[in-house]
Amino acid sequence: MRFRTLGTLGVSVILGTALLSGCSSSGGDTGKVTLEFWSWAPNTQKVVDAWNKANPDITVKYTDAGGGDDSSSKLLTASRAGNAPDLALVEYTTLPAMIVADVPADITSYTSDIKDAFTEGTWAQTTFDGAVYGIPQDVGPMSITYRQDIFQKFGIAVPKTWDDFKTAAEAVRTADPQAVIASIPPAEFGTFAGIAAQAGSKWWDVKDGKWTVGIADEKSLEVADYFQGLADAGLISTDPLLTPEYDKALNDGTMLSWPSALWAPGVLQSVTPDTAGSWAMAPLPQWTAGDTAVSYQGGSAVIVTKNSKHAEAAADFAKWYNASEEGVKMVLGTQNLYPAATAGQDLAKEQAPPALMPQQTDFYTQAAEISSNTTPVTWGPNVNLAKSVLTDALSKAITDKTPWRDAFIATQKAVIDDMTKNGFTVTNK
Amino acid sequence: MKSTMKNLDVHPVAVTGRVDRRPHTRLLPTFLLILGSVYCLIPVVWVFVAASKSDGELFSTFTFAPGTGLFSNLGDLFAYENGQFALWAANSVLYAGVGAVLSTFVSTMAGYALAKYEFRGRNLIFYSILAGVLIPGITLAIPQYLLMSQVGLAGNPLSVLLPSIISPFGIYLSRVYCESAMPKETLEAARIDGASEWRTFSSIALPLLVPGMVTVFLLQFVGIWNNFLLPFVMLSDQDNYPLTVGLFTLLSKGSGSPALYTLAITGAAVSIVPLIALVLFLQRFWKLDLISGGIKG
Amino acid sequence: MSLTSAPPTIASPPPGSRRSGIRRRSTRPRFAPYLFSAPAVLLYILFTLVPVVYTVWISFRAYRLQGSGIGGRRVDVFAGFDNYATVFSDSEMIAGFLRLLVYGLIAVPLTLGLALLFALLLDVPAARAKRFSRTAIFIPYAVPGIIAALMWGFMYLPSTSPFSYITRALGFGTIPFLESPGLFGSLANIAIWGGVGFNMIIIYTSLRSIPVELYESARLDGATETQMAFLIKIPLTRPALILTGVFSLIGALQLYAEPTTLKPLTSQITQTWAPLMTIYRDAFITDNLPAAAASSTVLALGTLAVSAVVLWLSSSRRKAGARS
Repeated sequence: MRFRTLGTLGVSVILGTALLSGCSSSGGDTGKVTLEFWSWAPNTQKVVDAWNKANPDITVKYTDAGGGDDSSSKLLTASRAGNAPDLALVEYTTLPAMIVADVPADITSYTSDIKDAFTEGTWAQTTFDGAVYGIPQDVGPMSITYRQDIFQKFGIAVPKTWDDFKTAAEAVRTADPQAVIASIPPAEFGTFAGIAAQAGSKWWDVKDGKWTVGIADEKSLEVADYFQGLADAGLISTDPLLTPEYDKALNDGTMLSWPSALWAPGVLQSVTPDTAGSWAMAPLPQWTAGDTAVSYQGGSAVIVTKNSKHAEAAADFAKWYNASEEGVKMVLGTQNLYPAATAGQDLAKEQAPPALMPQQTDFYTQAAEISSNTTPVTWGPNVNLAKSVLTDALSKAITDKTPWRDAFIATQKAVIDDMTKNGFTVTNK
Repeated sequence: MKSTMKNLDVHPVAVTGRVDRRPHTRLLPTFLLILGSVYCLIPVVWVFVAASKSDGELFSTFTFAPGTGLFSNLGDLFAYENGQFALWAANSVLYAGVGAVLSTFVSTMAGYALAKYEFRGRNLIFYSILAGVLIPGITLAIPQYLLMSQVGLAGNPLSVLLPSIISPFGIYLSRVYCESAMPKETLEAARIDGASEWRTFSSIALPLLVPGMVTVFLLQFVGIWNNFLLPFVMLSDQDNYPLTVGLFTLLSKGSGSPALYTLAITGAAVSIVPLIALVLFLQRFWKLDLISGGIKG
Repeated sequence: MSLTSAPPTIASPPPGSRRSGIRRRSTRPRFAPYLFSAPAVLLYILFTLVPVVYTVWISFRAYRLQGSGIGGRRVDVFAGFDNYATVFSDSEMIAGFLRLLVYGLIAVPLTLGLALLFALLLDVPAARAKRFSRTAIFIPYAVPGIIAALMWGFMYLPSTSPFSYITRALGFGTIPFLESPGLFGSLANIAIWGGVGFNMIIIYTSLRSIPVELYESARLDGATETQMAFLIKIPLTRPALILTGVFSLIGALQLYAEPTTLKPLTSQITQTWAPLMTIYRDAFITDNLPAAAASSTVLALGTLAVSAVVLWLSSSRRKAGARS
């Protein structure tokens, strides 16, 4: 520690202490407060502007921190250095890692009045052992987005179960050997996790301070076998998504669906705007006919950080943003996200369908229906590691033609080893 | 040896007449050089072609078929978040420009000291600084951030500027160039005339060193302009972002928000234009021979 | 940090140094060199040395959970050589180094070979279009690695690749740029593309400083251009070749931008494909800075060792050659 102090001393002497005062986000106790907010969701600035106009005493300053895996480390690093913003958008998958790294503040006491604004499944995504660490902003209930026109042309029914999906995939191959029903590549950790959760697997679970890891439980391995079966038979592709290659296939009409979540139409719209009107959305296929359960893929929450000196003001903003009518209206209308709050999901029913599928007028009614059937998921403290290991192991399995289930088993082992090494108690070593 | 370095362009002309009568000595080398040029230019041409394509065209038309969306792409790019792209470009110019100028002076002074004086610790200084090229930037970024945070500079543009000033390669080049471009006698003479050390450096040495400084400036400018990780880790206010980090935020949105592919490609095209212009412009002042000249030793 | 308040110019020569003829002034002032190098040394200490020492220190730490379950928090504790043990026992890390070796064996010799070839061609008196090609081949140096990889990615993907378009039209099918083993070549190609121009200029300028008389006498002896290249030019540009070689080698060991940018395009590139990618993952994605610090230390020491061996080999060979 000593040289660190020495180095610090050196830096301060050289740079002059005049600069030292520059960087805190506080405005003192005079009542006027400035809050820093890191996010990456589209049009966040407009939401922040609306808040700032109505709340002259609490000014929010927005920064586009970029999304993706790399940006969560930026928040972690900033937090370790004591520079974290007051508020930040965090994906549900990384929230537990943030919590054990002591980034978010426990905001249970500020949020008791808005708990009912969300479904239980949604609220569970930010609640751990009874403590609330964030306010859900958007959710990604899982659905399938498909080429309605081509499905109709080939006479293929929208798959209701994963067995149907396989039949449909075969029919696609027969009708057009160039086309595939979908691509499910190794990197789509969220898809695998979501579909396994739908099958009843719990990849992470925490009870009384003890973790259970289920990445390689029986249900998960069945999911692995199922998708390997499709891939081995050439019924699905395993090439990465949203590459120029993939986007070209979307444009050509040789990539016919994307099993993912409700946000998919927005993404597809940006890469294949010319095919708008040919797509439709349906609930994700089920493992058992007649079931309705789906899981989430994606979605994020706003956290208040421990570094914040104005936790209450920050919580007020987060609540307004994600639980007030005015806020969720903007999440939906201005940001084009699917709101986590049930009020927002109701509002959405009035909304015109996404530009990709103007003909599907009941899009948001269906969406609300799907959303009401979501099952809560618990993520673990090392989701990013699991994602990295599973992606690599699956890629290797595909190249080497080894069983996919082995990749899941290897991931389970790596995740448990990592957790044990880091000091977590894991019950199923 | 030193004189040949200065009149580069008069070299073997005198003897050319005799050898190049056989046509293949002319054709084959020229053909290979053109082939190499085409290889090097193809991707550059592509990025400009791709920048002219609209969203749909990017993935649906032949790679080298020009698109129809150049102006609307440029318009979108500069209109994004109220003209943030122009701000990022200005920041890049600022970081790379100021950083490279400071770096050039710091490197030149150090190179001069290391080349023209014998002093205790000279080799220690030289070799420890040179060892700096062994360490990947990825390794240093987080520790640098943590240290900057300790002095309250994280997030400040200075946190990007200051670490860019030190350049092991620049110091190495400056030293090598000083050694070969400046006769010791010139300095001795200046000293005998009573010039102070600083005056000797600033009015005798510096003018001789300009070609070398141009090289160091160019290398540093390109290096800082293209640096991604340091500003990505250090900065949190997007108004301070340089182009690289700005383009990154365009390309990496979380799941649920589409990547702004077309914008990013157009941005990439726009951001390499100044660098290519700079290379073309500075080439005439350019003495990269300082690198090879000095190591003949 | 002004130097105009000039350092004392009258100083006695350090003991043992060679005296110059003039006694009243020293030719080796005592403080001036320190003041001239002070800014560089200070910046070096602050922004390289201190972070390096800090990195080494972090490599002996670990974030470990204190408390239990979700109520526990990871805190910074001393870990001894744990992180180093992990680096050396991690089979993926070792596989990464092996992949790096294959990549380096392709990229470094080809970069240098092509750079030397183009430099020699530029030096052929009869060649045409020299100015144009010199600039064109140098241009990629100005293109950021990330953008270069993005551009080549488009050139590689089957549906957008103009090369595969041509081979398909000719009936040869698609070129598997992004499948192993072609992948190594594709990655090396990006580095070669970006590096040939810079190295070419270094070698070329070194060629240009070879005294003209050498060529004249060789030509009088009837040597062809090719013979001259092998007998005169290449041996005399050895120092430049060694320099570019060492820098290309260091560059190859720090392989990162190219596979990272191509990663989203192919399942064949894993997140731990190259050692620096593993380091990046540990530091920026899985929040394991201590592991990243330990791997970085190993990588930096390895780079130092490899560079030293290359320099030692080339200098000992030179000495041996001089003696014979």
